[in-house]
Amino acid sequence: MKESHENAYAVYLLTDELLHIVYKRVPYIDLKAAQVIVKDRMMLQKGKEMPVLCDIRQVRKVDKPARDYFALEGSLWIRALAFLVDPPVTDVISSIYLGTHAQKVPTKSFIKKTEALRFLQYQESP
Amino acid sequence: MPNSDDFRVKRIHQLLLEMARGNFFYSLEPEEKNDNIASLVVMLNMVNEELRDSFIHQGFTNAHHTPQYMIQLSLLLDSNGRIEMVTNNSCSLLKCLPNDLIGKPLNDILSKPSQKKWNQKLPKLLKKEYHETVLKLEFVSSKGLLLTKDCNITVFQNLNTKESKILLDTVFFSKGEPFPKEKAANKLMVTKGTKDHKVRLSPKDIQIMRDVHDMIINNLENDLPRLKDLALQMGTNEYKLKYGFKQMYGITVFRFLTQERLRQAKTLILHSQHSLKQIARMTGFKSITHFSRAFKEKYGLPPSQVRR
Repeated sequence: MKESHENAYAVYLLTDELLHIVYKRVPYIDLKAAQVIVKDRMMLQKGKEMPVLCDIRQVRKVDKPARDYFALEGSLWIRALAFLVDPPVTDVISSIYLGTHAQKVPTKSFIKKTEALRFLQYQESP
Repeated sequence: MPNSDDFRVKRIHQLLLEMARGNFFYSLEPEEKNDNIASLVVMLNMVNEELRDSFIHQGFTNAHHTPQYMIQLSLLLDSNGRIEMVTNNSCSLLKCLPNDLIGKPLNDILSKPSQKKWNQKLPKLLKKEYHETVLKLEFVSSKGLLLTKDCNITVFQNLNTKESKILLDTVFFSKGEPFPKEKAANKLMVTKGTKDHKVRLSPKDIQIMRDVHDMIINNLENDLPRLKDLALQMGTNEYKLKYGFKQMYGITVFRFLTQERLRQAKTLILHSQHSLKQIARMTGFKSITHFSRAFKEKYGLPPSQVRR
C-alpha cells in the first residue's frame, strides 16, 4: 500500500516498509516548519513505528530551535533514520545535527540512496 | 562581487571576529551554492547557534558566575515604515551611525525574505489603533552579517497628531561586561539559607553528566534507579551526580526525567490517537492523576484541554 502527502516543506511517501520524506528547497526550516513536518509525519504513520529515509539534499538551513525540536519531540515512532545528503553542504548539516543531539535510534547519513535503503533494511532484520 | 570567493571569505572573517568578541547573535546569509565555502558558512552558523545557546543556558543555570550583558535593539517607525528614532545600541549592533538609519525605510536594513514579510505585515499592523505582535525578522548589518530575532512590534497612536507609530524592539545577549566585583552572587540568592553546592567537574565528570542526560532522554518510559545506584552505574558518586547535573542543566535528575516525559506526552496528545491513559503509561507515569497534575503544572492546561 502506498500513500503520499505534501506540505510546504516536504513530500512524504509511505509504503508498507518505510517512510520516505523529501525536503523541498525552502529558504530555511524554523521551529514552525519543523512542527508542521513532524505533525504531518505522525498523522501519516498513525502510531506505526517505522524506518525513515530523509532526503535533505535540497535543505540549506535548519535553525537551532528546529533542530532541537526534531531531536526531541520529532523523534517519536522512528525505528531507524537515514539521511540522504549531497556533500558538502547537507553533509555538514547532518554531521553537526548528529554530533550535537543524542540519537534514540540508529541514524546515519548516506550519499547513495541504495546504501541508505540497505542500512534501513539491515536495521529491520540484521 | 557578492558571489566571489574573496567576498564570501571576508564575510566569514567578519563573523569569526564577532564570535571572538563574544557576540554570537550574528549569522551569515545561507547560500544557494553547494561548494566548500557554502558548507563552511552552514557549519559556522550552526556552531554559532550551539555556542550562543550554551552561553545563555549557563546564564540561567549558574547566574552568579556568568558575565551577561543585554543589548537592546529599538527602532521607532512612522506609519510609512520609516525609521524616526534609533537607540545607540541599535546602531552598534547594525554597525552604523544614527544618521545612516534615521529617515530610511526599515526595509533598507532587512534581508530579502524579511522585506517581503514586512511589506505584507505593515498594512495589517496599521489597521488597528493599538496592536502588539511578535515578528521574526532578519536585519543586515552594514558589514553584511545577519541578525535574526523575534521582535516585539507595538503599534500606537501619537497623542497629538493621532498618527500611527510603530515601536520595534528586541534583546540580544552578549558576553560583554562582567558583573561588578562586589559579590553579586549574594544579592542573587533568593532562598534564604540555601547552600550553594558548587561541584568542581572534571572533563570526565562533564561527559558523565551528558551521558546521564542522553540516557534519560532515550529511556523515558523506564523509571530511574535510586540516585546512588545510578551514580555507581555511570561511574561517579551520588553527590557529584546530584549537584553536578543540576549545575550543568539547571534542573535535578528526577525533575528532568519528568520534564522530558511531559514533553513527549504533549507531542503524543497533539499528534496521536492514543487515549490519555495510554499516553500516561507510555511515558512512564504511574497514574493518570499524577500525569494530569504534573502536566497542568508544566503547561498550565490539563491534558484533556490540549487534546481538543
